[in-house]
Order: sequence, then C-alpha cells, then structure tokens
Amino acid sequence: MQYEDPNFWRAGAISTTVVMAIVLVMLTIDSLDAINPGGSHVPPYTVINRHIEYAHNSKLGRDMPVIGSDEPLFGKSVTDTEAAALIEQGKLVIQSRACIDCHTFMGNGAYYAPDLTKAWLDPAWDAWIAITGAESREEAMARFLMAPEQYATWQRKMPDLGISRDEAVATVAYLKWLSSIDTNGFPIHFGRIKVSK
Amino acid sequence: MSPAAFLLTSLSLGVMVLAAGAYALLYGAARLKNSRSLFVLAGLAYGVLALDAAGVVLATPLALAWKLVIAASALAYLRIPPLTWGYLQRTHRDEGAHT
Amino acid sequence: MSRSKNLAVKYLIAAVLFFGVMTLSGLLAATYYINPEFLFGLLHFSIAKILHIDTMIIWLLMGFMGAVYWFLPDEFGREPVGIWAAEILFWVFVVAVLVVAAIFVFVQWGPGTETTLWLFQQGRKYVEAPRWAAIGVALVMLVFAWNVVGTAMQARRITGVMAVMSVNMVPLVLLYLIAFPNISNMAVDLYWWWWLVHLWVEATWEILIGCIMALAMMKLLGTSRQIVEGWLYIEVALVLGTGILGLGHHYFWIGTPDYWLGIGGFFSALEPLPLLGMVVHAIYDAGVHRMKTTNRPGFCWALAEAFGNFLGAGVFGFMITLPQLNLFAHGTQWTVSHGHFAFWGAYACGILSVCYIALQEQRRLATVDSSSWVWAFILLNGGLIGMAGSLLVAGMAQAFFERAIGGSTLEAFIAGQENPWFVISMYSRFGFGLVFAAGYLALAWNLLTLGRREAAMSIRPVVPAE
Repeated sequence: MQYEDPNFWRAGAISTTVVMAIVLVMLTIDSLDAINPGGSHVPPYTVINRHIEYAHNSKLGRDMPVIGSDEPLFGKSVTDTEAAALIEQGKLVIQSRACIDCHTFMGNGAYYAPDLTKAWLDPAWDAWIAITGAESREEAMARFLMAPEQYATWQRKMPDLGISRDEAVATVAYLKWLSSIDTNGFPIHFGRIKVSK
Repeated sequence: MSPAAFLLTSLSLGVMVLAAGAYALLYGAARLKNSRSLFVLAGLAYGVLALDAAGVVLATPLALAWKLVIAASALAYLRIPPLTWGYLQRTHRDEGAHT
Repeated sequence: MSRSKNLAVKYLIAAVLFFGVMTLSGLLAATYYINPEFLFGLLHFSIAKILHIDTMIIWLLMGFMGAVYWFLPDEFGREPVGIWAAEILFWVFVVAVLVVAAIFVFVQWGPGTETTLWLFQQGRKYVEAPRWAAIGVALVMLVFAWNVVGTAMQARRITGVMAVMSVNMVPLVLLYLIAFPNISNMAVDLYWWWWLVHLWVEATWEILIGCIMALAMMKLLGTSRQIVEGWLYIEVALVLGTGILGLGHHYFWIGTPDYWLGIGGFFSALEPLPLLGMVVHAIYDAGVHRMKTTNRPGFCWALAEAFGNFLGAGVFGFMITLPQLNLFAHGTQWTVSHGHFAFWGAYACGILSVCYIALQEQRRLATVDSSSWVWAFILLNGGLIGMAGSLLVAGMAQAFFERAIGGSTLEAFIAGQENPWFVISMYSRFGFGLVFAAGYLALAWNLLTLGRREAAMSIRPVVPAE
C-alpha cells in the first residue's frame, strides 16, 4: 500500500514544504511593500510632523490611525532626512537599552511594563505634562525618559537608563511614528473603556 | 466581541483540543486492551469535543468561515486516532508487534 | 567512546548546567512581579528576563547538538567530518555565553550607538547578545552543520533520518543571520525577526527534535528504521505544511496586510492536528511495548515530550491563535503560559530523554530504572504545569481587564496587573517555580549519580539490588 511506503510520505514532505515556502516568499514580497515607510500600512517617517489619532472606522469595522493636520514635534517640522535620522537614532536607543525586554512593541516583547504601540496617544501623559512641568506631551515624555525614577508611574518603576536629551527626543519621535502604524486594530479600542455586560 | 464572549470562546477552543487529547488517549488504551468500556469512554470524550464544537459554532460571535474551520477540525480530530492507529499497526506488522 | 560521543556528553552537561541558570534567572524574573523594589538600581527585570530566555535558547541548542553528536557516529558508522573543529568550538561557545552573561549583568546597556550593538547589547528578544557573540554562535552552528552535512556528503549511503537532518541544517543556520541587522523600521524588524523565531521553534527545531526522537526511539524500543523514517516524513509534511504559513499568526498586528489574519489563523489552527497524531503514536509505543524498555526515564521523558508538546503548543496555543481572540490575548501573560508549556513539552523533555539514553551507554548500564529519576520527573513536570496554569489565570485576567474592558492604556495595564486574580497568580507561579527548581536539583543529582552507586556496589559482596 502506498501509504505504508516511506517514499510516498517523503515525496509529500518535499512537495508540501516547497509549495508552502514559495507561497511564503510571495506573500513576503507583498508584505514588505506594505510595511516599508510610505506603504499601505506604514506612514513615512515625516508623519511625526502631523497630528495622530486612533479611531474606530465603521467601514472597516475596526480601529485605524487617523493622520491629521500639522503638529510638529517639539515645535520643529522635520525633513525626510531629519525624520529618518530621528527614527534611526530612536531605534538604536530602544535596542541599546533593551526596552523590548520589559515593554512590548505591537504586543511583542516582555510583559512587565506597558505596551508601547500607542504610548504616544496615552491619556496618562496629560498628568505627566503637569508633573514634569513640561509645555507639551513630547516634552513630558522626554523628561520622563531622562529621569524615570523621578517621575515614577506606579510601584513598578522604570529604571534610569542614562538616556540623554538627544536620545530621549529621538525615542519620543519613534513612539509618535509607531503610533501611526495601521496594526489591523491592535490594541482594540485603545483609550476607550468597554463596559462588560 | 464582548469581553465575556472572548473569554468563553477562547476557553471553549482549549477544551475542544483537550477533549481531542483525552479521546486519543482513551481510544489508544481501548485498542490496546480491546476493552469495550474504554471505547465507550473514548466515545464520551469525543462527545464532549463535539458538544463543545457545536457550542462554538452555534453560540460564539466568530465569523462563519471560522466556524467552518472549527467544525472541520472537530471532524479531523475524530478521524486522526483511528487513522494513525491503523497506519501504525500496518507498518509494525512485520515487526511482530501488533494489537 | 568516539570523539563525537565524548563531545556530545560535554554538550549535554553544558546544556543541563545552563538549564540551571535558566531556572535561577526565571525565579529572579518572577520575584520582581511580587517585589518590584528587589535589587532596584542594581539589576532589573529586563536583565533577569534576558538571562532567562537566552539561556533557554542556549541550553536547548546545546542539547540538540549534544543529541546529534551522540547519534552521529552510529548513524554514519564513522567519526564525523571536522570533529576537531567542533571540539574547539565547544569551549569557545561556553566561554562566549559566560562572557555575554557577565556583560548583561555588569554592563547591562550602552549609549544608542552601533558600538553598543557590537560590544554589549543588541536588545532584540532572544538575540540580545552583542554582535561579536552572535558571530561566535554563527560559527559554532556553521561547523555543526558542516559536521552533519559534510559527513553525509562523504558517506556512501545516507539514512533517511540523516538526510532530513542535513537538509534541515541549511535553513536552521541561515535563519540565524537575522540576529545581526539593526532595522530601524519596527514593522520590518519584527517581520524578519519572526522568520528566525517561528521558523526555528515551529519549523526547523521541530524537524530537528523529530529526527532526534526518531533516533531515540530506535535506541529505546528497538523500532525499525523504516517505521521511524516513514513517520518522520509524515511529521515533516504536516509540521511544515501547517507551520510555514502558520508563521502568519505572528503577523496579525505588526503592520502587515490583513490577509495574514486569515492565512495565519487558518494554518495555525491546523497546527495541533499533527501533534495529536504524535500523542497517538506515543500511546501505541507505550502500550505495545507494555512500557518495557531498558531505559525507563529515557522512555518516560519521550512520552512527556509527546504529551507536553500537544498540551503546551496544541491546547494552550489553540486558545489564543484565532485572530479575533488573539486581539485580546496578544502580549499578555497568556502568551507566557503558552510559551513556557510549549517549549517545555516540545523540546526540553526530548533533550532530557536523550540525556538518559547517552548516560546509559556512557556508564554501561544494562538497565536504567532506579526510582531516583521519578522525583525529578514529577517535580519538573508538576512545577511546569503549575507555572503554566498560574500564568494562564494571570493572562486571562490581563486580557479581560486590560484589553477587553480597559482599552490597553497605562491605566488599564495597571488595573490588570493589580487585579486580585493576577496578583495571586504571580505568587502561585513563583511557588510552582520553586517546585520546578527543586525538580531541577533532583534531575542534576540524578544525572550525576545514576549508575555510579550500582557500579560501586557491584564490587562489594552480596548486596541486594534496589
């Protein structure tokens, strides 16, 4: 019987693997196109010059980032090159401090500290603007990053990681850009509390 | 999906696969011992799986396509133990070890 | 004993030792959830977590390598090609891991520059090790692949198991290259990072452990090669058939197009099916042989592998894999419960089985069946199930209160973490972690002493066997 013949299953293993791998490669080419800055799901880095929101889209049936009017970060509009430099520096900060080993980014990482996907949009920053004596949300975020132990959020304190002013500015820029990515609705109804029946 | 519906649906899916494992375990034991009562228990385990799957299909807010996947999985779980057992018996037949 | 088998024993010892480091750092990481002030200013959660997850990868990799080096000379009937290089690189590997661990503990981080990535910290999960160490690991794996593939190419005949293992080496090693780049765009970074993580632990590693367990079954039960090879091909077909596009279950929320919700969810939902087949196979083997084997712990750990894989990866995975459910469970302790149980069942148990197989031959024991291994078995499995269960409760509370109700803000996060179900689960997890740690000590002691007492006793007159 062919089902008892290992060679039958070997042929099956080879053909299955090859077909699946080809499909994966094709989908990868399409996905990379979508997730490069300017693609269908990921805005260009200069989105940090704009107002960003996250709202329910009834046509799609899920939450979507909404890019609004001009809202320069730290009061300064940036060019493509400057934005890319900020994002590159921000990511280096995130990796050098291993942020992903306490926090999550788009739900990936560690679960000891909050998810940072929509951190730019967190309503808690309103309170931190007052606490840090800052004039804007981004300034409050930068001051927090530079002295997290001084502006502790709750009993689990973020440690001081020696983040410089330039690094803090770049990281805030990174988080603003991150919040503009279309993550297919994750996290669900961010900032809106749902009453459980 | 409401918070309660999400929790219930997730747990139901876990129960479904767990029941599949119980069914496989009891089915294997039944074949080994040639025991009618173990076959009955295996059937009951699969009954739990089937009821659970029915619940998922009828009472959860999953879209139709996903419900079809769940239903098809439930059928697949039914067939996997006997198919696997039959394959193992046939291939081990020459070893002189069979049940 | 052949050079390859001697090297195998070294790798298995190193694996078990790093397993201990993983356990200790796991307890440390768990402590912070209960006492957030612990070692504040000195050593933080992130470092404990890095040590915990990285030593997990290292000990499993070393375990795989130990298992392969053990079986290789018997499979090929000769010493593997380039074994001299592997012998040197073993020490390079161990020293590099220790140096990196010291850097993580004493240096911890650096400024946001490429230099930091090269010397101290790359900060990408599981592959945080600085680039110089990643180069070392890549070299170790390249030589490992050469030992397998090179010998296969030189051999006149190659067995089916070795053919599968050899072909599998290529993607296994190539995927590790993803540990090197610094990609600014988080969506692209995570896209490729998941190729490494998923196509390791849900594809190439599964094939590798499948090959190892096939060789183990031939040793433990004397099963014929034709049978294990036929089964191995079925496994490869089903595991890769579901797992390659099952990669999509990591592409729901990272900015990728939404067709991944359907593709990833569908293939991922199929992933438990082959695992059920493995459970049936395990029951068949256990029953038909009436649990008769000359190496009871080796066999029991192999059974634990089949069941643990099904429960941890299959059951726990299926609960959270559909996208509309994953939306709530993603990035919570639910993920952690699944991860712990799946890694334990799919890989750790299999490697422990091989440890006992190698031990039997190395210490020339006719049978391995004293009762001492049972303590380790019960405490480790019981501890792990307890931890996974605790984390499941914590994860459900978090998904419910933080995500489903709370809207995932900082305030919602805190509410979830302070929820009584969550808090109690953190204590419970720690308690079961202590049980697991006790199991580890029992295991280490058992591996150290197994057979030595019997051998010593055999030179004394008239002592009844245990």
